[in-house]
Amino acid sequence: MVFDYAPFLIEAGKIKEFAKALQLENPIYRDEETAKSAGYRGIPVPPTFMTVIDFWNDHNFYQLFADFLKLNPNHVLHGEQAYDYYKVMVAGDTISAQVRVKEQFHKKGKNFFLLETIYRNQGNEITAVGRATIIEIAEVD
Amino acid sequence: MTELRTIIKKPIFPIDLVKYSGASGDFNEIHTVPAIAEEKGFADVIVRGMFVMGWAAAAIEEWFPERQLASFNVRFQAVTHPGTVLVITGTMVAENSGEILIKDQQDSTKLMGSFIVKNSSS
Repeated sequence: MVFDYAPFLIEAGKIKEFAKALQLENPIYRDEETAKSAGYRGIPVPPTFMTVIDFWNDHNFYQLFADFLKLNPNHVLHGEQAYDYYKVMVAGDTISAQVRVKEQFHKKGKNFFLLETIYRNQGNEITAVGRATIIEIAEVD
Repeated sequence: MTELRTIIKKPIFPIDLVKYSGASGDFNEIHTVPAIAEEKGFADVIVRGMFVMGWAAAAIEEWFPERQLASFNVRFQAVTHPGTVLVITGTMVAENSGEILIKDQQDSTKLMGSFIVKNSSS
């Protein structure tokens, strides 16, 4: 079973806003000329930008939780996160992300979900792979 | 084993979490509305793990401005509240791979992780 996020067009303004929210001072995230002279095709995304593709999307994390995992996104903890980077994503790319539940188990009264998300660009090249451990907590003590 | 330069961040303010909500699209109110966080049993709003991971990635970029990440793994160890000053330390364990640790000033670990950077030529 896989869940597809809606294809996400990466806009330069969204990269700038995300970089600003994280107080990233590197000008490559806001200036195309600087990015190009640093060797990028365009304005690159910061390393954790994939979270924006997961959340700020028409078919997103909230549907993933409600319809696919049958979980309340407000009743989960983010235990671990990993990313492998294959190809830099830049402004103008359209990224399609697909999630699989790789593993699901119960430990110490909690449900664990290991999710793998594969991010592909408009050329169907894998740009990044994300792996998240999500822990369902029935009630917060 | 090479120690990387310790980075001490500015305290996290509630407005930082509001800005990050808008930027990331994660609108879980436990991160922005104190009454909701209290209802869930927390003393204050909690900082998203992904915000802390974002700062961890920024630290690696500060240590290696010319090199991109090949992989980055973190485990979130404890919740963080606004007002916290995060201290980021790192150690290189091999030529391209390192470990990163984020603690508060009371020495409580918030994040631990490992990373691999690409060669500068690639």
